[in-house]
Amino acid sequence: MPIDKDTMIEAIDVNKEYRRAGAIIHALNDVNLSIKSGEFVIIQGPTGCGKSTLLNVLSGLDLPDSGKIIFDGENIARAKEDRLARIRRMKVGFVFQDFNLINTLTAIENVESVLWPTVLRTSEIERRAITALRDVTLLDRKDHFPVQLSGGEKQKCGLARAIIHRPRVILADEPTGNLDPQSEKEIMDLLKKINNDSDTTIVVVTHREKLNSYANKIIKMQNGKVQSVK
Amino acid sequence: MVIRIWKKGVTLTLREKRTFMIFTSIYTLLIFLTSLFWESTWNQGLASLQGYLVLIFLFTSLILSLLYAWILVSRKRRDWATLKCIGYTNKNIIAIVSGIILFTTLTGLFIVIELVFHYTAIYSYLYSADIIFEDIPRILIGLVPIIATSFLFIFVQLLSIALIYRKVLKVRPIIALKRVGE
Repeated sequence: MPIDKDTMIEAIDVNKEYRRAGAIIHALNDVNLSIKSGEFVIIQGPTGCGKSTLLNVLSGLDLPDSGKIIFDGENIARAKEDRLARIRRMKVGFVFQDFNLINTLTAIENVESVLWPTVLRTSEIERRAITALRDVTLLDRKDHFPVQLSGGEKQKCGLARAIIHRPRVILADEPTGNLDPQSEKEIMDLLKKINNDSDTTIVVVTHREKLNSYANKIIKMQNGKVQSVK
Repeated sequence: MVIRIWKKGVTLTLREKRTFMIFTSIYTLLIFLTSLFWESTWNQGLASLQGYLVLIFLFTSLILSLLYAWILVSRKRRDWATLKCIGYTNKNIIAIVSGIILFTTLTGLFIVIELVFHYTAIYSYLYSADIIFEDIPRILIGLVPIIATSFLFIFVQLLSIALIYRKVLKVRPIIALKRVGE
């Protein structure tokens, strides 16, 4: 199958099943989808429909049982762990529902941590971290520890960590799941701004339909299958 | 790059004050005692009381290092999983863990060196002032036993880091995406 050069991520006949309490669960069932570079995609569906499994597989955090995942032109479905880690470090930014900041590091150190295993100079890492924190309007809190930040601020810090290495794709798993409506709007606006300004592909997994207005592609899932793409 | 990751391991160590102080204190005690019995072990061989004690201290250090590494990997599983998500390889993570463990041991070593200076000074003063009790054996610790002990301890730490590597491999990045408490 020829791959469009504008395609950022493509899933071809992807299947994934796992066992839970002795029963086999078909988390992904012949999933085919394509995400173009620069798109803002929302993956939606009820709990247990396979949307988080799909995100894991698209990012190389989990491997499909069969099928291909073409990520920026490279099939990552059978890639080794170290190669996947490098792809994530260079091309993917993650935003987590529970923020996943390291409590013993300050906000700026959490943001910088992505670039510590790179050959970049420490001064350059610090410069980029400051820029990322400024972009998410959290620079005045750079020396605060996560426990000193509100939920919205923690997620802004998580977002700064996701953009410091200028990734091609940002993957967000329920990024506003633990936030109040005001913070939810701020985070989604920031994601949209990043999408518009740097042409970064954004993939958001959520069950909240009110976020649909941010997306230019909505993938609805049901029982491990792609039900519709709008 | 590895040095930067080690330095960050040191930062993380210093911010976990309680764990750091407990393990540093135990390492300090073990290094001090091993150094204290080193010379007599050297003279009388391992098949002596002092020799057995030295072996016990080294074995305790190995167990302690394994325990420390195990605590680090288990208690911070979510942190390591997050770092794997954002692109850290297993080697990067083991570099942080080894930075934490080696720094704790080296801190213990520096404390021992400091202690030995004071110990020697106090002993020399008491001896010159003729207030040394006859029944207390004269034991002084030289620099060579401390250096030799330190090398042995660092070797033991490296052994424990190698043993814990499998546990780091088992931390799956996907854990970071699970909800807290899930």
